[in-house]
Amino acid sequence: MGDGRLVAPQAAAAYPRRERRVRGERFLAPALVSPAVLLIGLTIAYALVYAFYISFHEVGLRALRGGSAPFVGLQNYRAVLSDSLFWSSFRHTLVFAGASVALELILGPAIALAMNQAGVSLAVVTQGVILLPWAIPPVVNGVMWSFLFNSKYGYVNAILLRLGLIGEYVQWGSDPNLAMLVVIVAYVWRTTPFAVLLVHAALRGIPPELFDAAEVDGAGAWQRFRSVTIPLLVPTLVVLLVLRTVFAFMVFDEILAITDGGPGDSTWVATWYIYSFAFRYLKLGVGSAGAYLLSLALGLLAFLYVRLLYRRVEY
Amino acid sequence: MRGRRAVLWGTLANGLILIGILAPLIGLALGSIQTERDLFANVPHIWPKHVTAENLSALVLGVEVPGVPPHARSFPRAFANSAVVAIGVVLLTLLLATLAAYAIARLRFRGSETLAYWLLATRMVPLIVLIVPLYIMLGRLSLLNSLGGLIVAEAGLFLPYAIWILMGHFAAIPVEIEEAALIDGCTRLGALWRIVLPLAAPGLAACGVIVFLLSWNELLVPLILVSTQTGMTLPVLVSSFVTVRYLSYTLLNATGLLALLPTLVLALLVQRYIVRGLIAGALAGR
Repeated sequence: MGDGRLVAPQAAAAYPRRERRVRGERFLAPALVSPAVLLIGLTIAYALVYAFYISFHEVGLRALRGGSAPFVGLQNYRAVLSDSLFWSSFRHTLVFAGASVALELILGPAIALAMNQAGVSLAVVTQGVILLPWAIPPVVNGVMWSFLFNSKYGYVNAILLRLGLIGEYVQWGSDPNLAMLVVIVAYVWRTTPFAVLLVHAALRGIPPELFDAAEVDGAGAWQRFRSVTIPLLVPTLVVLLVLRTVFAFMVFDEILAITDGGPGDSTWVATWYIYSFAFRYLKLGVGSAGAYLLSLALGLLAFLYVRLLYRRVEY
Repeated sequence: MRGRRAVLWGTLANGLILIGILAPLIGLALGSIQTERDLFANVPHIWPKHVTAENLSALVLGVEVPGVPPHARSFPRAFANSAVVAIGVVLLTLLLATLAAYAIARLRFRGSETLAYWLLATRMVPLIVLIVPLYIMLGRLSLLNSLGGLIVAEAGLFLPYAIWILMGHFAAIPVEIEEAALIDGCTRLGALWRIVLPLAAPGLAACGVIVFLLSWNELLVPLILVSTQTGMTLPVLVSSFVTVRYLSYTLLNATGLLALLPTLVLALLVQRYIVRGLIAGALAGR
């Protein structure tokens, strides 16, 4: 799989071949690794298997109170797959993920380039505050944007009206498309800094000699950008594409804080569907079935991305 | 002259970016330092007519203020819960992740590479799949609604990422330094404690800050695993305010502002470490 750039830059060097062993060390490595492996095994591996088990059982209030959880075969999966709300939630997830990943992949490199520009003193300030949106609690981010976009008291309407861009206050919350737009704006604002950081690190990693050589060969600024910068950014962009898509599929906090799934079901995304079934309607089996389908979709997506894109990235 | 024009455009671009980053935060702050009545009466104005610390002080002091709903009184407790949980998660995660990452990066053992890649793969598992079984498992162990249960669960969920961040840092330390210590009669653990850890301190700091932020910001895990009023963390309190729609906007804004202040301080003060950690892990939070 290429040069292993999907993982951290240092990761490829993470395995120094040390054959020489210190006496009595045979059991040291397992002893050091096992506490972490045990805890991860319980909270992730065992939980994943257990979720699979739950998805074939009827787990409701009765089961939670210590009663039985009868085996129901594929019934939960059938319930999910025949539920039109599941499919519309899935569609909304695709729209949300497609739009936000596209925006992150455009804005991320654009901001990183501006931040990296030599001789611009303001760029240093940008570098200092770029992390802020990434660091704040996602649910607070949702609260913030839901206030800013509030149709009566929010600043977005006030500013747009003053600039003459709108004739009257826009009801952001009651139009399905606008509600989705607000969630996307909030999410992209919080997550783009991560893309900026990775691209910025990649930009700084490009040896300046490459630009000098291109300049000696008579390449202009645009040509240097096209034939030096962009090709060297591609591996980073692929990493971002995979990661950001997977994480966009998991959006939850902003939905809860901004739209609560509404208006109607227009911002029900996959995680919202699963959460609602499991913890609002207390159908944990159905929720788990939905969650498994989401995981499968994500696994497939990550696999396809890596297979399709990695071939082309090796240059 | 082309150079000067490029700088001009660059300055303009950075100015726009700065506005984009800071304006929403300023909006939130403005929305929390006025009274609800002013906010409603003052609709088209951007700057508040009267500035008041009423919302913020009601929250911080946990006192009942006329016009401020009683929910606000849970704020100090929620803040303390968030701090306890985040610090507990950082300590537990750093301890277990350090041992594991050192072993994977330094003591080549059978299956260490496979283990590393499985740890990476766990980052692709959506949390929403794990939360249902975790809820049932902790319920069986009578660990629901306990901060201890929450700490252990979050530590388990963040461990793979923490191990990845630390592996890179341990691998970057020259083996020779450690070998010299071993030859001088240091034990492996002695070398880890006295030689490797001090050298890896920036990496440990990076990892610790990121895990702190992950835990401080986490909503879904405490929302499901802790449902009592006294056990709420800040994000859960904020989400409970959101679902109570009659609560005042300005108070909600103030709660949000206070919840994000520690993260802003960290992001500004130890930014260097965070960036280092993010790039080392390359698989940051959501």
